[in-house]
Amino acid sequence: MTPNAASASSGPSRRSFLASTAVATAAVAGGMPLLAACGGSDGGSRDGTTSGKDAKKILPAYVASNMVKPDIPSKNGSAIGFTGKLDLSTLKTSVAKKLGKGGKVTVMSPFWGSPPKQNNSYYRAMNDLIGVDVVWHNQDGNTYDQKLGAVLASSDVPDVVVVPGWNMGGKIPSAIISKFADLGPYLSGDKVKEYPNLAAIPTGAWQRSIFGGKLRGLPMPQSSAPSMVPLYRQDIFEKEGYEVPKSCDEFMALAKEITNAKAKRWACLDMKWTAFQAFGVLSGSEKPLGWNLVDGKLVNRVETEEFLEALEWSRMLFAAGVVHPDSKMGKNAPDAGPKFAAGEFLIYPNNISQWWGRTAEQATQNPDFKIWGMDIWGHDGGDPTLWAEQPAGIFAFVNKKAPESVIRDVLAVANVTAAPYGTKEYMMTNYGVEGTHYTVKDGVPVKTDQGNIEVMNAYVMVASPAATLAHPDFPEVAKGQVLWQQRMGAFAKKSSFWGMQITEPARYTNLSNDFEQLEDDIVRGRKKISDMQQAVADWKSNGGDKLRDWYKKLLDENGSAAS
Amino acid sequence: MSHSTVPRSSTEAAAPEKTPVASGDAIGPREKPPAGKLTLRHRFRRDRVMVLMTLPAVLLVLVFNYLPIAGNVVAFQDYDPYVSDNGVIAILNSPFVGLENFQRIFEDSAFWNAVENTLVLFFVQLVLFFPIPILLALLINSVVRPRVRAVAQAVLYLPHFFSWVLVIAVFQQMFGGAGMLSQLLRQNGYDGIDIMTNPDTFPFLLTAQSVWKDAGWGIIVFLAALASVSPDLYEAAAMDGAGRWRRMWHVTLPALRPVIALLLVLRVGDALTVGFEQILLQRDAVGPGAGEVLDTFVWWNGVRNQDFGYAAAAGLIKGVVSIGLVLAANKVAHLMGEQGVYKK
Repeated sequence: MTPNAASASSGPSRRSFLASTAVATAAVAGGMPLLAACGGSDGGSRDGTTSGKDAKKILPAYVASNMVKPDIPSKNGSAIGFTGKLDLSTLKTSVAKKLGKGGKVTVMSPFWGSPPKQNNSYYRAMNDLIGVDVVWHNQDGNTYDQKLGAVLASSDVPDVVVVPGWNMGGKIPSAIISKFADLGPYLSGDKVKEYPNLAAIPTGAWQRSIFGGKLRGLPMPQSSAPSMVPLYRQDIFEKEGYEVPKSCDEFMALAKEITNAKAKRWACLDMKWTAFQAFGVLSGSEKPLGWNLVDGKLVNRVETEEFLEALEWSRMLFAAGVVHPDSKMGKNAPDAGPKFAAGEFLIYPNNISQWWGRTAEQATQNPDFKIWGMDIWGHDGGDPTLWAEQPAGIFAFVNKKAPESVIRDVLAVANVTAAPYGTKEYMMTNYGVEGTHYTVKDGVPVKTDQGNIEVMNAYVMVASPAATLAHPDFPEVAKGQVLWQQRMGAFAKKSSFWGMQITEPARYTNLSNDFEQLEDDIVRGRKKISDMQQAVADWKSNGGDKLRDWYKKLLDENGSAAS
Repeated sequence: MSHSTVPRSSTEAAAPEKTPVASGDAIGPREKPPAGKLTLRHRFRRDRVMVLMTLPAVLLVLVFNYLPIAGNVVAFQDYDPYVSDNGVIAILNSPFVGLENFQRIFEDSAFWNAVENTLVLFFVQLVLFFPIPILLALLINSVVRPRVRAVAQAVLYLPHFFSWVLVIAVFQQMFGGAGMLSQLLRQNGYDGIDIMTNPDTFPFLLTAQSVWKDAGWGIIVFLAALASVSPDLYEAAAMDGAGRWRRMWHVTLPALRPVIALLLVLRVGDALTVGFEQILLQRDAVGPGAGEVLDTFVWWNGVRNQDFGYAAAAGLIKGVVSIGLVLAANKVAHLMGEQGVYKK
């Protein structure tokens, strides 16, 4: 339970990582704590974190890539942005010779949307470029947590398994440590230089890839600036004269104005994630992020007033009837994409990558469609308090049983997918093949229908360059995204355990399993706020307080990144 | 039970109902106990071909039904499937915790909530679902024209072959908060109603879906039973002046009685199994308060939270209670003079 651990997955249930996800170069520079060895005395070597000298020994060396200079450098933990025109004829080559040895590698990965056919032209082109025969086992990303545990418990684990941080609940961390290979012998220190694009991944992201004292993950770096954006239909807002709200009250008023159920229009989907931001609730994307040191005492997000207030406000939206009825179904709801395009609702919170994803998807068939991101407001109209995201949130792991040849092939895959913007490899990974997946119009790549179907998820999940926002097809979207991150990043603080990869002792892993479910029940009016208070009281007495002590000890031993 | 009981002579094989289990087992009064062992071997030699033919089935049952029962041992463990690639070794390496899992379960309000939902759903389905296939079978049976009958049967069977995902999507399109019915109401000035996410009516929604999907399929057994009723009986009854309803009451229903009793017993034994896939697909729509049944509880804790020992304990409790229910229901069937699932 990760995500839901203390909270909920705040992981958006529908994160679409279409292409670039962002990350913060700043993460590296930013204050990585010097961590010191395992904190927990009580769980053997599996729980705790790895830091300081121990971490230094296994972290890969960092060799910056200077392939292309960003138009907008990182600020406030934002991704780097490329908003100028991309000269497709002078793309650089970051992988001089194919590193793949032609082996076959199976990869299980979450997929948001409808997966394309196996062996499609995008997969073939990528495999040719890499020199490895990658076979994708795509699984529904929204219910990935429900499959992961069973797959890892079987004796037939794929060569590579992609695991998002918010899916690391229950005993998954234990599974990661016992089922996946130590990549240290191939990547630690200068060894990574054999894979220059991996060497250019920020150290903060690698730091997060240490599980059980060994470097096991290939990270997808992300920016520490917030990535959960309240997205809205700017075209309809303009047509109807709606103003972007600046407080919770304004939002409510606007929502009531927009909603016209008779005409099949509602204001929004479940706004829980935005509410958490507006009320300054600690992140729920990962258990350790839910803790913060306040006046010498660690406080968990579920114990805060803000948490309850955010739930209450989200509940009021449902009660006011301004939320699209499908949202009541939670994870069982049908795909919201087509309904957003049809204008059945105008606002929903999701990962920043959907800003571009939806734009590209609708560009040809729905030319008026314009999606944009709202600035997050403080609930009372002031500045919001936001919490920094981890330097890496999604990891690819290699099966422990894989022979060296397979591990080398996987690293060859990662070295291509981690190629920075402005290279042929980046273009292929994110846009596919010219003429098939995109066409060039006035020097701008435009995704074809086939491109929108096939060039989704998959390869970008294996390892990525430092967080980058670059959409040569829609440079104004990239610009909007980066500037949004910079504005919001200015309000972002780091909580006490930011940047660390922490494994909780086994006996606490199921402690907060049901919080996310309870949040959703309350927001939908099926449970009361007092039920949550009761659940928190139970949580404390069942081990929450002991867990607090455990974290405190970890903090005392390792120091904090808090800001 | 008795499928394995071997008739004493091959002539009797043709009439197995004459060889009730009990007497078959006891080898009959004529043969003396000391000869028992020899007799067994003797019988085995005589029937070895038939025994051989059952072997594949026995093997299947052993491997897929009996062997996994041993896995229930994890109910007494803090089982971590990830300590080894091999399930058996993982069991050997997981610590035993005695009855701790059971203790946790009995203290877990979520478990009792699941039990309650399961029972409510069972009773609602028993009352609202169970009679429908019988009524449909009687209806179909009364249709004389074979063409009409064939078409009606096909139409009734068809929904059974739709997947639950599809059935629920159709229901959602029709009865969801933004579905056809709600929009129709709104356009006519009423409030929309959202049947799909109302926890209070959830058992009825589930039952309605089951009826739509499976009631037609359920008539097959009853139709078969009806087909075996001799037309002579109807003729005789008609000659005696019995009308339509009397014939149904005195001829048709008594013919169906053993089948109904058998299915009831089976249904009761399955009482705690109320439709895993169907419910899992809608659990989030109403929340676990109304949507959690024993099977989803086991799934949620085991597969999703990887708390396998806990989930296994819940599954074990369910299994034990189910056996008790079958035995009890069977007893009741015997008391009522029916054969039930097996006979003593």
